[in-house]
Amino acid sequence: MQLIEGEKDQILAIVGEVLKNSPKQREDLIPLLQKVQAKLGYLPALAMEKIADGLNIPAADVYGLATFYNQFRLNPPGKHQVKVCLGTACYMVGGDITLESFERRMEIKEGETSPDRLYSLERVACVGCCTMAPVAVVDEEVEGKVTPTRVDGIMLALQDEEKKNEKELKSNQEEGEDA
Amino acid sequence: MSNFTPAEIYKELLEEAISQGEARKEKTRVLVGTATCGVAAGALKIKEDFLREIESKNLSDDVDVFEVGCIGHCYAEPLAIIAKPGHPAICYGRLDDGLVHRLVEDFLVADDPSYEYAMAALERNDVFPTFEDFPRGIYEKKLILEQCGFIDARDVNSYLAREGYSGLAKALVEKPEWVLEEIKAANLRGRGGAGFPAGLKWEACIKSKGDAIYVICNADEGDPGAFMDRSILESDPHLVIEGMILCAYTVGAQKGYLYIRAEYPRAVTHVQEALEQARMKGLLGNSILGTDFNFDLEIFQGSGAFVCGEATALVNSMEGKMGMPESRPPRLAQKGYRGKPTVLNNVKTFAYVPLIIRNGADWFKETGTPESPGTAVFSLVGKVVNTGLVEVPMGTTLRQLIYDVGDGLPNDREFKAVQIGGPSGGCLPESALDVPIDFDSLQDAGAIMGSGGLVVMDEDDCMVSVARYFLEFTQHESCGKCTFCRLGTKHMLDILTDITKGKGDGDSLALLEELAEDVRDGSLCNLGRTAPNPVLTTLKYFRDEYIAHIEEGRCPALACRDLILYYIEPPKCSKLCNVCVGSCPTEAIFTRDDGLKEIDQEKCVKCDNCLKACPGEYNAVVKISPPVLPPEKVRVAK
Amino acid sequence: MSEYVNITIDGHDIKAKKGERVLWAALDNDIYIPHLCGIRQEERPNAGCRLCFVEVEGASRPVTSCTKNVEEGMVITTRSERVDRLVKTAFELILSDHNLKCRECPANRSCVLQDIAKKRKIKLRHDRFKSIVREFEIDDSPAEFAFDRSRCVLCGQCIWADREEAKVGAIGFTKRGINRVVTTFKDLPLAESICTQCLLCVEACPVGALYYKKNESDDSNKNSEKNS
Repeated sequence: MQLIEGEKDQILAIVGEVLKNSPKQREDLIPLLQKVQAKLGYLPALAMEKIADGLNIPAADVYGLATFYNQFRLNPPGKHQVKVCLGTACYMVGGDITLESFERRMEIKEGETSPDRLYSLERVACVGCCTMAPVAVVDEEVEGKVTPTRVDGIMLALQDEEKKNEKELKSNQEEGEDA
Repeated sequence: MSNFTPAEIYKELLEEAISQGEARKEKTRVLVGTATCGVAAGALKIKEDFLREIESKNLSDDVDVFEVGCIGHCYAEPLAIIAKPGHPAICYGRLDDGLVHRLVEDFLVADDPSYEYAMAALERNDVFPTFEDFPRGIYEKKLILEQCGFIDARDVNSYLAREGYSGLAKALVEKPEWVLEEIKAANLRGRGGAGFPAGLKWEACIKSKGDAIYVICNADEGDPGAFMDRSILESDPHLVIEGMILCAYTVGAQKGYLYIRAEYPRAVTHVQEALEQARMKGLLGNSILGTDFNFDLEIFQGSGAFVCGEATALVNSMEGKMGMPESRPPRLAQKGYRGKPTVLNNVKTFAYVPLIIRNGADWFKETGTPESPGTAVFSLVGKVVNTGLVEVPMGTTLRQLIYDVGDGLPNDREFKAVQIGGPSGGCLPESALDVPIDFDSLQDAGAIMGSGGLVVMDEDDCMVSVARYFLEFTQHESCGKCTFCRLGTKHMLDILTDITKGKGDGDSLALLEELAEDVRDGSLCNLGRTAPNPVLTTLKYFRDEYIAHIEEGRCPALACRDLILYYIEPPKCSKLCNVCVGSCPTEAIFTRDDGLKEIDQEKCVKCDNCLKACPGEYNAVVKISPPVLPPEKVRVAK
Repeated sequence: MSEYVNITIDGHDIKAKKGERVLWAALDNDIYIPHLCGIRQEERPNAGCRLCFVEVEGASRPVTSCTKNVEEGMVITTRSERVDRLVKTAFELILSDHNLKCRECPANRSCVLQDIAKKRKIKLRHDRFKSIVREFEIDDSPAEFAFDRSRCVLCGQCIWADREEAKVGAIGFTKRGINRVVTTFKDLPLAESICTQCLLCVEACPVGALYYKKNESDDSNKNSEKNS
């Protein structure tokens, strides 16, 4: 993935700051990656390289770790993240059907981000809300009893929000032009 | 060292906590259950509703609204407890904005507790039954869940006021050996799954000579279908913290960690706050309760790898490496975190420790069986009426747990199997329901206690598909280090997938069974060794289902989507109703010339929407397996 | 305390260095035990290939000899029905994920897999497990060698050479489970990574995954392999 100039500076600044405020032992690697991802939403290669330098370990090791754990993302996530739970209880009441419904509505597959970077879809092993199965986590909010119909509702709400944002952006721009 | 004894310091903390509690009790309190499951059911909105309604009635000065954890009755979420002076504290379930409005108006403003909406009272009284009076009350016994959902998880005083940290105060005037003897005498077995005695683990750690000893709490609860560790950390974090401090005192550790899954942000927040408050109160950190005992705790957030629940993998991940298991020995007690002796116990194991120290080993052994004393905590989910967290004495049978505590299966469905222990456990049939729940009996039956996920399955659940589900899980979560787990589970999954698609052949079962045994015997770590359990138990108890898939291309539970089709039975279909057409996401249902609805099999994605949507008076949509449409003339005739 | 302990392997009395692991004690005495991932100097054995099972008297099930320390009086048998069954399955599992076009492979006749097959009389081609199909591109970016992941058995010998002998750190394991693979940072071609092309990894590879390129004139051969 090509980074544009501003992104590069932002990544360097964030990694620099996180490194400055952290001890730099090998055992600090996972917390460091977590902090950087919390700020950037993902782990760009540049960030992994800088962290490797900071801890004085091979970049291949950081890459290995980032690809080993489910939590780490190597590509920027969509603006709205949906995680569908496929724990046992969810699976039994059609968690896979829920996932498929999201895939259909978002027109992407699990693990992907939509081309406009608005939505990304993931599966998770279990979010521990089995009694509300099937469960999906929509932008950090846990939603229970997510049937295909509820999926439509969730997607409509997200799309409405986006439309609103777009309108606001437009009117702001127009105001800006007026001024 | 302080001039005061731990007992004196503790007494002061206790009195302060009690007086704060008393002051609170003078006001009306609304306690909203906001553990993750509650939040999923809309608890935060319910809390807002309460606050808004209370404000609109100008009651804000008289009523406090608090967040509490999970009381285990998840089937009735969202729920709240209202404690109004002059009334017993009462729990209300299945709340919505209308009911909140009603409760504020009738109970908080007027003085009518609206018993018609109440679930149960929390304390004995003459007016309304308590949770213990529920039929399930006979079978339940809450030790480590006792305070969950009743105390303010975010206020250390709430824990202190109920004798919290009294075990620590008691232990600190004794020698560490006394604590060890007490834990050994209690025969507390590790609740992480295998049931290894905690006292022996601690003792091994003391005996191995190392300059630093670490205490780690395994809260990497990764079993799909289990959530009790999350619930305890969210609802009663100090119980676990006190247990860890007691362990540290016993083994001589100065530093400990709680390894918590990243998927549990709420648990992380609550524990973080609890640690800070414990430090403020002098219960954690330097010179605990005025003694020269120092111990501090930190949170390490796991990054989402199921395999990290395995002890050596967990330690590797804490050391900044891939979470891959190592061959043992050496065990963690000899060579653990940073190469030093390390005690690693599960959340629940630590949670029992303060109670045992507070009340004595004999008290603990009054509950449960001689070999497995104490209670078992399960997250009871799946096809059962009362889903939620349950705690029962060891020795309770599965039947009692499912039918008496769980109130049986919903919708008059037939019981088929109960899955215990997650991906490492097994599926037990009806004939095994009288097995008592304890570490050894479950193992003999082919399942394991595991971390306590218990999923009830009915006739609509296909056992081949369930086995495939778990293999998909373990295969996806395999670290990839050893041949049997990396490649063995992959081939097992492929065989199972073929069977669920009707592509299995005569040799499939023999090969599957052979491979399952070899993966069990040959894998490096316990995750690999237990991964075949769901397959081996379903092959043992539900072989006929496998055979139906292979020989007839039929899924008896009508669950395997490649072996079923959806069909609208002409005699049952009402020509006037259009519900199924609207419910279909792929426009596969059309109206025929004769007015009946029919499904275009090419377009159908088998999402089950139409079957759910078809009104109960018709029930015209059915599933058919093997996927062969009835002959043309049957379909046309009405 | 003596520096040596007495053990018996397959009926042979053997003096083994204290702290030694059974696998190396056996191999030092010309007793064959199949193995892929074992590295003698490694403090904590990888124990991933699961080929070096033996029976130890008193143990309830076969144990991997690479992880078992020798103990005074230990009695070891390298073959038994249980051992053979596990080794056969593990070996066939590895083969199911290995490019079996031996005739095209530079390691043909010097491959450890062929050696194991011969010594344990296990067929290289078997029909118990379906072969796992994957798409790998051959990395022929280095001047003198190339890397064909379709032949890699994930034994980790190359990574050890890269880290412990060459002290470079260009390659490592990435990903998890069935997707586990040996690769560079960002999956860059070796020549674009920090690899110094010291060739120690090529020397370490027990199969034909890392191999010396043939002369220029043989290039056509390689291309056809890529396309196949």
